Amino acid sequence: MKKVEMNPYMLIKGRISEILNLTPDVKLFKVRIDGIKDYLPGQFFMVSLWGAGEVPISVTSLPSDVLEFCIKKVGRVTGEIHNLEVGQYIYIRGPYGNGFPTDIANKRGILMIAGGIGISPLRPLIEWLIKYPKGRQIIFFYGSKTPKEILFLDDIERWRRNGIGVHLTVDMADKKWNGPVGLVTELLKSVNLNFEDAISYICGPPVMIKATVKELLSFSMPEERIVTTLEAHMKCGIGKCGHCYEGSKYICIDGPIFTYKEIVDYALSL
Amino acid sequence: MKPTELILYKDHLSYWLRQLRKERELIGPLRGEETDIVFKSVENIHDIVLDLPAILPTVKEFLFPQYEPMFKYLMTDEVVDLRDNTKRVIFGVRSCDVTALTLLDKFFLDGYKDPFYEERRNETVLISIVCGRPEPECFCAGLNTGPYLEKGFDVQLTDLGDRFFVQVGSPKGHSAVMRFSFLFRKPYKADYEDQYEVFLSSKATSQKRISLEGARQLILSGKVKDDFWRMISDKCFECGGCVYQCPLCTCFTVTDRVFGDIIERVRLWDACLFKGFTRLAGGILPNEERYLRTKRWFYHKLIYYPDALNGFGCVGCGRCTIACPTKIDMASVITRLKVTAGSEG
Repeated sequence: MKKVEMNPYMLIKGRISEILNLTPDVKLFKVRIDGIKDYLPGQFFMVSLWGAGEVPISVTSLPSDVLEFCIKKVGRVTGEIHNLEVGQYIYIRGPYGNGFPTDIANKRGILMIAGGIGISPLRPLIEWLIKYPKGRQIIFFYGSKTPKEILFLDDIERWRRNGIGVHLTVDMADKKWNGPVGLVTELLKSVNLNFEDAISYICGPPVMIKATVKELLSFSMPEERIVTTLEAHMKCGIGKCGHCYEGSKYICIDGPIFTYKEIVDYALSL
Repeated sequence: MKPTELILYKDHLSYWLRQLRKERELIGPLRGEETDIVFKSVENIHDIVLDLPAILPTVKEFLFPQYEPMFKYLMTDEVVDLRDNTKRVIFGVRSCDVTALTLLDKFFLDGYKDPFYEERRNETVLISIVCGRPEPECFCAGLNTGPYLEKGFDVQLTDLGDRFFVQVGSPKGHSAVMRFSFLFRKPYKADYEDQYEVFLSSKATSQKRISLEGARQLILSGKVKDDFWRMISDKCFECGGCVYQCPLCTCFTVTDRVFGDIIERVRLWDACLFKGFTRLAGGILPNEERYLRTKRWFYHKLIYYPDALNGFGCVGCGRCTIACPTKIDMASVITRLKVTAGSEG
């Protein structure tokens, strides 16, 4: 019989070892899986349930036997994933995409700016930077709609203890909240940093990314050191289905991480 | 490598095809119930239409079908890879389609290999026929994507009346011909002369001159404003006809179909002209305005395709000209683009 070659669309089965309910519509799935060991912060996987379909989801853990996916219930597939329980199976393929560039971060001040579930791809990058500190100044800005929707609060406290400057803000405060209220871009103004020599990693909803980039440019941060993620509809993850191309770039294989300079040069839309 | 050249008398054609059909599914142009000619599995070899118009349906369907099952998932948690490895021979393919497939090879097989396309492509032999009489909608000659091909084909036939001039251009083609070499003879001088005459007459037949490069340069020069694309897209019904007829449109969607205990993951042709094509989680529509989608289709063919694959996303087959009910097909739009942008420049 003819040998059937590897099929890149074929899924690998993983067992859900733990589910954390982070907010009413965001869950963290820990998936025990064999055979996927190497991936980078910023890369994504196609996560799938048979009968529902596939969705691209950023990995939110550093490489280990357990992959972590932070999934917000926004549609049909993510809705069905949310119905899964510990011990059940989930199917994935990947990793895909380019991941965050870390070589340009050497010895520079680092700004991490997240909005909402945009913290998810930044989380492994922060963990990576803590693991390999190299004496960098790291500041983390995080905007959420409400205090209840702040994800990974335990991790954030640990990051704070590890010397990361943490600045949280919310759109709408509750009784217990005594931190700032407003957009994450407002927080940037208060920080004491040489923006011209720093690097920034941004992830969040498009409107937040746009506002943040504008702010950073006004502080003279060079375009090639503003790094962000782009979001797109995807069906394949490997540059074939055609849904995510912008110009001659495919978000799935050339991205999803781009510097602002690349976004301008390739005429990508933020 | 110069293609091997031979002569096949038409008397021997059905015998040859019958031999090929013993090993492969034979696909050929057949007259449908109405008058349309369609590519279908051939049951009776004598039903194959030989007096073919230049514009036939694309054979893309057999390499990248409109509906392609990818996997079958059984409740026992078993997954079956449904790659189609049927051996096929397609007779009567148009040169423009052969050229298109050489570009699709780059698209589907460079970088990540698409195994569904790869398997079908490996198992398919193409027997193409040079168009002696291009249709008014065709513009392959100016693009060098037809009607005569120098390379890229498996077997290329030129109709010389009672016989075919046969060119063998690939190992697959070689096997399909040489195992039945007793049916073919070497060409004589007269055959070459006849072939040359057909070659000349196909060139002489006035084809439209559509310059994709000219259009590309106009767009890149920035002279084509969004107003132009708005004007074009105002006429678009979003029927998807151009996309489905185009031998170089490859966008697809993937969906799961549940049949009792069996789940089938299938891929289906999709079209960038549809509003939901780029829909994001949460219902955001990046290309909600129609002109952005129309523009994207033309940019893909004229700008991005050459950037990525070193060839235009159009082979001048003229199918979109026939398919489009409002004349915003490739040829018409380029003609208009030159009038609009050219006058400003």
